[in-house]
Amino acid sequence: MTDAAPKTVSRRAKPTETFDFFHDARVRSVFYQLLTAGLFGLLMWYLISNTSHNLETRGMSTGFGFVNTTAGFDIDFKLIDYEPGVGTYGRIFVIGALNTLLVSFMAIILSTALGFLVGVLRLSTNWLVSKVALAFVEVFRNTPLLIQIIFWYIGVFALLPGVRQTIDLSFGAGMLMLNNRGLYMATPIMGGMFWLTLVAIVIALTGAVVMRRKARKLQEQTGQQTSTLLRALGLVILLPLVVFVATGMPLSWNFPTLQGFNFAGGTSLPPAFLALLVSLSIYHAAQIAEAVRAGILSVSKGQQEAALSIGLKPGRIMAMVVIPQAMPAIVPPLISQWMTTVKNSSLAIAIGYADIVSLFMQTTLNQIGHAVELVGMTMAFYMFISLSISGLLNIYNKRVQLVER
Amino acid sequence: MAVIKATKTPERAAPLVERSIIGWMHKNLFSSWFNAILTLFTAYLVFLTVSGLWTWGITDATFVAQDRRECYDNSLTGACWAGVIDWLDNIFYGRYPRDQIWRNNLGAVLLILWMAPLWMARIKGKVLVGAGVVVFYPILAGYLFSGGEKGLLMQLMVSGAITVLIASTANMVTGLAKRAFLTEFLLDVLGKANAPQRTQRYTLVAVFGAVFVAAFLWQMGWTAEPVSWTRWGGLFLTMVIAGIGIASSLPLGILLALGRRSKLTVIRVLCISFIEVFRSVPLITVLFMATTMFPLFMPEGFVLNKLVQVIIAVVLFNACYLAETVRGGLQAIPAGQYEAAHTIGLGYWRTTGLIIMPQALKHMIPNIVGTFISLLKDTTLVSIIGLFDILGMLRSISKDLPWLGLHKEPLIFGAMLFFVLCFSMSKYSRHLEKKLSAGNEH
Repeated sequence: MTDAAPKTVSRRAKPTETFDFFHDARVRSVFYQLLTAGLFGLLMWYLISNTSHNLETRGMSTGFGFVNTTAGFDIDFKLIDYEPGVGTYGRIFVIGALNTLLVSFMAIILSTALGFLVGVLRLSTNWLVSKVALAFVEVFRNTPLLIQIIFWYIGVFALLPGVRQTIDLSFGAGMLMLNNRGLYMATPIMGGMFWLTLVAIVIALTGAVVMRRKARKLQEQTGQQTSTLLRALGLVILLPLVVFVATGMPLSWNFPTLQGFNFAGGTSLPPAFLALLVSLSIYHAAQIAEAVRAGILSVSKGQQEAALSIGLKPGRIMAMVVIPQAMPAIVPPLISQWMTTVKNSSLAIAIGYADIVSLFMQTTLNQIGHAVELVGMTMAFYMFISLSISGLLNIYNKRVQLVER
Repeated sequence: MAVIKATKTPERAAPLVERSIIGWMHKNLFSSWFNAILTLFTAYLVFLTVSGLWTWGITDATFVAQDRRECYDNSLTGACWAGVIDWLDNIFYGRYPRDQIWRNNLGAVLLILWMAPLWMARIKGKVLVGAGVVVFYPILAGYLFSGGEKGLLMQLMVSGAITVLIASTANMVTGLAKRAFLTEFLLDVLGKANAPQRTQRYTLVAVFGAVFVAAFLWQMGWTAEPVSWTRWGGLFLTMVIAGIGIASSLPLGILLALGRRSKLTVIRVLCISFIEVFRSVPLITVLFMATTMFPLFMPEGFVLNKLVQVIIAVVLFNACYLAETVRGGLQAIPAGQYEAAHTIGLGYWRTTGLIIMPQALKHMIPNIVGTFISLLKDTTLVSIIGLFDILGMLRSISKDLPWLGLHKEPLIFGAMLFFVLCFSMSKYSRHLEKKLSAGNEH
């Protein structure tokens, strides 16, 4: 009986390392990867050879030489100088990129502000207000953005009164004039000594920030609360004002004035820009509102109750307790909405705003061909923007994670 | 002596403040003076908006008119719905030949008939039914919509699709009537319920083969009039693009998501770059790329029609977004699930298909439906590159001579249509999420 046990052990087969070539995980992994790489290489080779053959037989030229050739068409809205017949296609690329960035940037600011407002209203204890906010979100989220853009363009901004019945948005000051040709704004002309006022503004802002920091420190150390708002506001307003008056008010305005059939002077934004800005802001505000609402709801209710019990008022609870804790949940979807805003600004093409897609992928492509290069450059532009914004998100995420630990 | 009350004291009614309308209003609308002002102000705004829209869209609107002038003669301040109503056929079917519209309608009815069992609790074999729809409906619908002479392969495929459709419908009937799967029912009726498995199999093959042969013989005598894709349009075209987009981008998205999480470096890198490139550029650039560059990619003489180019672009674009959604679902699955599946000896594909994916997809239903909704909304972009989808049709109204310059009403009509579709989709997805997670509540 005693020697039975060792017998069984010795009879058991030793685990031999048999190397089965066809069933080894590593071999298979290498094989599949080689197979994929090979197939991908074949596909690429097939596409590239087809493309080069097609380009050759159609007599289409390739290369980026066109960037330095001059373009013959005019652009109605541009941030940098350009003249048809003088400006190059490279310059058109820059103009389009700047136009895209301008409208996206402004839409991002407006939609974020409006989105936070609507998101907070969505959670209001006032039944009517929360239902109106809900209706706003559902209506604008569930209809295509393209329809909204075209509607704002054709149904609103094109139906504004003509040049002679211009609406003055600045209550008769003539600084903001809206008509069916666009929005005309007065531009400031800085006098010789105006830089002193700018310096004063910078000093005042720095002073305000320092003041606030000191007050914070004081509160952290002694618990004593001081209100810096009034003093900071006074500093920011009074100092530049005093300097401005003392230097003899060196600022004048270039007003848009009616000359013949149109306004001259000042600066103007075309209706297509306004329509795109308004529709992007509203559409994305609805999306951002949902992210804000979800973020606020993710903060546990106990936090609000605790804040209430130590005597904070509802407004301060929102601003000092709930929103700061909701931010880590709000920021990632918020930034991805910003990314989508930049991408959606490409719908400008439907209403003729001169963004990069409409200038480069449509007008330029129709004029000179070079499909591969033009499409590639435009896509590279968007990829660069997307990468930059997601880089921003990564930095934020890292900071938030550090704080949490 | 203790007094014990034998009957339960009746519950006191809730305080008046809690149950009356006035109490509710006090709590939800007028809890403070600030709230009261807010309520009144909002109510005023709502009143202005609703009454304005009501007057413009209903009371002052013109519903029957010959042209826009007549609308104006009727009322200057109201909407001119007559133009939209006049174009209703175009909005729904595009330029599809008017005497062939029944084919679009039949296609829609068949799809509903085919998919209806998926919503019925008593039907068995839902996975088979679903797979049947995804694989065979496009074949049948494709022929139904484009028509023309059928080659032998097309004839076989159409007959196969008809067979599956008949089987699926019969299964629905037997399921509803007898709670039985079609094959069980057939074997029962033919008296082979207790026969050996081999006999059963031959019997079933014979039955379905007979149906197939009948379908083949029937379809030989039937040729649909050819309709070129250039005449497809309106809501019909939107639905075709969105339908194919939804049906093909989900499987592709799942594959991309799996590829992105693969341990094989080459596959992972390829999938990541593919996903990230498509996700970082706007759809309109992808559409332009499809229409300008696809022709260059193809071998000489091979012409891909524009509709196919657009559909490929939409599918690739949305597959990348779905891939990220699915990946989010996969990340939520705890590692224990993989390990458990590994322990019971399942390989990669079985683990993924039977254990991981069902959980991940269930988790992500609202997000997946959200992507589908944006796909549906994004199909309007094809009007920019010259297809006459619903938006293209709506915009053509303003170029039609009798309705020259009629922009607002068609756009609002289109927006309402999309709202109904998208809103019901998102509501349904939330309902589905609740229903599916009901069993999983801890």
